[in-house]
Amino acid sequence: MAEPILTVKDLRKRFGDFEAVQGVSFCMVRGEIFSLLGPNGAGKTTAISMLSTLLRPSSGKVVVNGRSLLTDPQAAKQAIGVVPQEIALYDALSARQNLHFWGRMYGMGGGALKERVEEVLTQVDLRDRADDRVGSYSGGMKRRINIAAGLLHKPQLLFMDEPTVGIDPQSRRRILDMVLELRDQGMTVLYTTHYMEEAEELSDRVGIMDHGKLIALGTQKELTRLVGQQETLRLHFGEGQLMNGEAALFEGVDGVLQVTTLADELVLGVTETTAVLPDVVAIANAHNLRIRSVDIAEPNLEAVFLHLTGRALRD
Amino acid sequence: MLKLLTIGWKDLIVTFRDRAALIMMLAAPFVLTLGMGAVTGAFSDGSNNGIDPVPLVLVNEDEGELGGFLLDVMQSEELADLLVVQTAVSTETARQQVDDDAVAAAVLVPTGFSASIFPDRATGQTGATMPIEVYANPGRPIGASVVEAVVTEFVNRVERNQLTMQVTMTQLATNGLVEMDEMEETAVAIGNDLFGNSQDAAANIVIDTHTASGSSDGGFNVLSFFAPSMAIFFLMYTVTIGARSILQEQEQGTLSRLLVSPTSLAQVLGGKVVGTFLTGVAQVTILIVATTLLFQLRWGNGLGVALLIVAVALAATSWGLLVASLSNTPGQVGSAGTAVMLLFGILGGTFFPTAQMGGLLEAAGKITPHAWAMDGFLSLATGGTLADVVTPVLALLLMTALVFGAALLMLRRRWAVA
Amino acid sequence: MVMMMQKIWAMMWKDARVRFSSRSELLFFLVLPLLFTVILGGAQFGGDGDNRIPVLVVNEDSGEMADELLALLTASKTVRPELVAAAEAETRFGDNEHAALLRIPAGFGERVAAGEPAEPAVLDLTQAPNNTNAIAAQQAIQAAVGSLGQAAAAAQSSVMVAEEKRPFTTPTERAAYFAEGLALAQTAVAEAPQRIAVTQPEAATGGFDGAAHQAVGQLLTWVLIPLLGTSGYLAFERAQGTLRRLLVTPTHTATYLLGTVASQLGLGLVQMTILVLFGVYVLRVNWGHSVAGLALMLFLFGLAAVAFGVMLGAFTKTESQANSLSIMMGMALALLGGAWIPLEVFPQGMQTAVHILPTTWAMRGLSDIVLRGQGVADVLLEGSVLLGFALLFFTIGVWRFRYE
Repeated sequence: MAEPILTVKDLRKRFGDFEAVQGVSFCMVRGEIFSLLGPNGAGKTTAISMLSTLLRPSSGKVVVNGRSLLTDPQAAKQAIGVVPQEIALYDALSARQNLHFWGRMYGMGGGALKERVEEVLTQVDLRDRADDRVGSYSGGMKRRINIAAGLLHKPQLLFMDEPTVGIDPQSRRRILDMVLELRDQGMTVLYTTHYMEEAEELSDRVGIMDHGKLIALGTQKELTRLVGQQETLRLHFGEGQLMNGEAALFEGVDGVLQVTTLADELVLGVTETTAVLPDVVAIANAHNLRIRSVDIAEPNLEAVFLHLTGRALRD
Repeated sequence: MLKLLTIGWKDLIVTFRDRAALIMMLAAPFVLTLGMGAVTGAFSDGSNNGIDPVPLVLVNEDEGELGGFLLDVMQSEELADLLVVQTAVSTETARQQVDDDAVAAAVLVPTGFSASIFPDRATGQTGATMPIEVYANPGRPIGASVVEAVVTEFVNRVERNQLTMQVTMTQLATNGLVEMDEMEETAVAIGNDLFGNSQDAAANIVIDTHTASGSSDGGFNVLSFFAPSMAIFFLMYTVTIGARSILQEQEQGTLSRLLVSPTSLAQVLGGKVVGTFLTGVAQVTILIVATTLLFQLRWGNGLGVALLIVAVALAATSWGLLVASLSNTPGQVGSAGTAVMLLFGILGGTFFPTAQMGGLLEAAGKITPHAWAMDGFLSLATGGTLADVVTPVLALLLMTALVFGAALLMLRRRWAVA
Repeated sequence: MVMMMQKIWAMMWKDARVRFSSRSELLFFLVLPLLFTVILGGAQFGGDGDNRIPVLVVNEDSGEMADELLALLTASKTVRPELVAAAEAETRFGDNEHAALLRIPAGFGERVAAGEPAEPAVLDLTQAPNNTNAIAAQQAIQAAVGSLGQAAAAAQSSVMVAEEKRPFTTPTERAAYFAEGLALAQTAVAEAPQRIAVTQPEAATGGFDGAAHQAVGQLLTWVLIPLLGTSGYLAFERAQGTLRRLLVTPTHTATYLLGTVASQLGLGLVQMTILVLFGVYVLRVNWGHSVAGLALMLFLFGLAAVAFGVMLGAFTKTESQANSLSIMMGMALALLGGAWIPLEVFPQGMQTAVHILPTTWAMRGLSDIVLRGQGVADVLLEGSVLLGFALLFFTIGVWRFRYE
């Protein structure tokens, strides 16, 4: 195993009676993309805030590049690049001026900084507009400069907190490509998201968070194995048809491993869809439940989450 | 019409929910009125109005009687409320007290002051002129000038007496009305007559002083000036927010949303103007009610006050609209509005009556709603009738028509292009 | 250390750029302060913030003597005569805005000149009740009247004494005696030496320098408001997310705060320098002799003000809230500190009470430098107090600093 660049051990954060992060532990190795996946409010942002020194952990240990975050935060910070969820730039300054300023905050200066700013501008493809005020940029352009500001000092570890929230599909694609490019250049990235597709596309390894806990951790393969060979069958019903207890109707069916009730659908974990489907349809008809549509899905992270928590990732 | 009111009402509610706006609309004028009241002594309800007793230090190095006389005058009953006199032995310490801002002035009576006025008994000669020095504290202009006035009055009296002596004796001698050997005796007699008399015997002008009838508690309350002036000053802030919201709606796209609903641009604009106007009226009314309850201010004729509130809110609203029509972004409205607010405040006599500023500025002040409204409010507060506010109200309405018209022209041009 | 200085420089550069990104900032930075100083200081328009006691005057005499009296009153440093028609006088006086009402009756001038001993000229002075201003006004009027008709008064007294010695046989003889005395007296008056000298500390130039007071007061006000606005700038960085981003860079919180304070204070100092230079070279306002003393007081005032801003920042949530509070508190602090009206017209208790405000001490120190021509040694107390305020405000501000 390669040398760990980030070691997190039993990280906790309490706000009064509420424990937002409840003992999270994991390691990251150089060159990997590690995604923290979880629904809104799972504790991802609190965790990443602690890792980027914005919040003081209630307890736990964090070592970045061999330096303890708690005892030697300045050295640790030098190794970390952060791309905050909200755009954090000065609208009144141009992109180039912004980047120069942030570079100086990382202790860079002179010709080296100048060169690096141009490099980064090229990387995010905004050299043409670099002298325009950031305030005049579109949302997607702002996001790209926001990322560029986190890359300036060539961090060994990059934290990206939901960098694609609230932008158009095209800009999103561009950002995802940028992350992949960074990986190809050997960057280590800690990526938080609540989009399963992003985690699936980007990550070498995925950590699933829920209610402040890391409930699963591993490569996608390892995680989907948790669900077994099971496939997912989603039955959509008409509005208001599901009362209570319908799940029980299907639990006894041969080949059905797990049944979860969501708003207007039942999600069934099954061994093989084709074998189970006729029985399921028959039971539904027998109980006057009209099925609107049926989805069949291969094992994926969504299924993993469902399997582990009994809830959908997005609700 | 209903739509207009709906939009206006929405704006009013939005404004009153904004805590930052409330600070400026209600808290700031209130605090500043309170501050003005406090510093001008409106709350020090003691028996005395006017300035506090002026502290001064006197050094008497005169060997003659006059230095002592001056001290007596200053410590006399009639000046007891005006001056607080202390004495010092050395001029250095006295000057130091002025430099330390402990007293308003040091009065230094020099050696030989009396001798420079009274001829020496033996030689008949007067000494060299020795002026009394008033070392004034530049940080206390009023106190220092009061001390100066008291000393001047004293010196005038001394000079008048001396002049009288001189003229009388010369005329007596030249007209042979007195024998050479009687001279000294006569001079002493006249001198005693003049200087020994506490009344100013030689004066040919008498100031017949009497106190105005009526009690002092009906005194003009400076708050009657500052309460309306601060309310109007911060009314300009309110209309600025109103004007800013027009451009904000444009920027946020809510203007387009309103326009795609079956609402015309005129209705939207009208609604915004109505909202600003209503907010302004509410603001001034709240301030008036609050100051009435808390400071027992009398605002005078109720109908007159109401008319003035409406008129000044109209005029202010149209100024706000003009600022908006000349700006491109909400931010610009904000800064231009604040600038106008401050400028109008100073020109319109918010901080001190414009009448004191002299012709040009007083005239310039007339372009502000402040000057006219203050004119009206002050007339009413001092017992004026409805007739007294006719001119201010008409002036404000005329101003509204002109400024509003100009703003509409500007806005029409903008939106016709956009 | 070098690194820290570089970062602070970068922050100052950035803050200045952000602040002046809108041109309208110049309006508040220089244009309005200068305009206000010019207007209020009366550099061009004559009147300064006139604090003289207002007195109503009814002139029913049209002669020269009455005009001379009016001129003397107008020149008075204590009272500000306001001429009104006899008919209005009572109502106007009833407004209680004036301390006293002076009537110059018809025939006043002739009476003064006539020298009829039994009938002195009478001025009628009505004073507002229980009003020290009225007593002060009376003194000032008496002082003015005293120098008026002095010669006539002396001649008249001489006639009276002569009459006691030997009654005049004819009115003509009496009139001739009066005329002779009047001539003598007028010569004497013309030759009379100055028996009163009003002096001031050496810096002061002829009387109370209203323009200088206003220049100081306006500078204080207009520098104070943006420095309190530091609170708004902190809120802006919070809202913008740039504060969070700054905190994840290897930059100490102390460096960040120092940089912010340094840039706001730096801009304040630039502003003050320009205002002072403009005052000295364009408006010809007296700013005292001691450059060191002035610089020291302005620096410490700026420090206390920016510290107040940091403290305010700890108690405000949004930028607009902070900005509104800054304007309001800036104006209130300036007013109560004596920047607009000299402290001496405040009631006694108030004069003492306002010493809990930094602006009062700044005004005191600056008055010592500008109006009294003192130097560094004389403002050490005021300077120390301002420094104390700065430390206190910083401590509270940093202790309660909002990172989120």
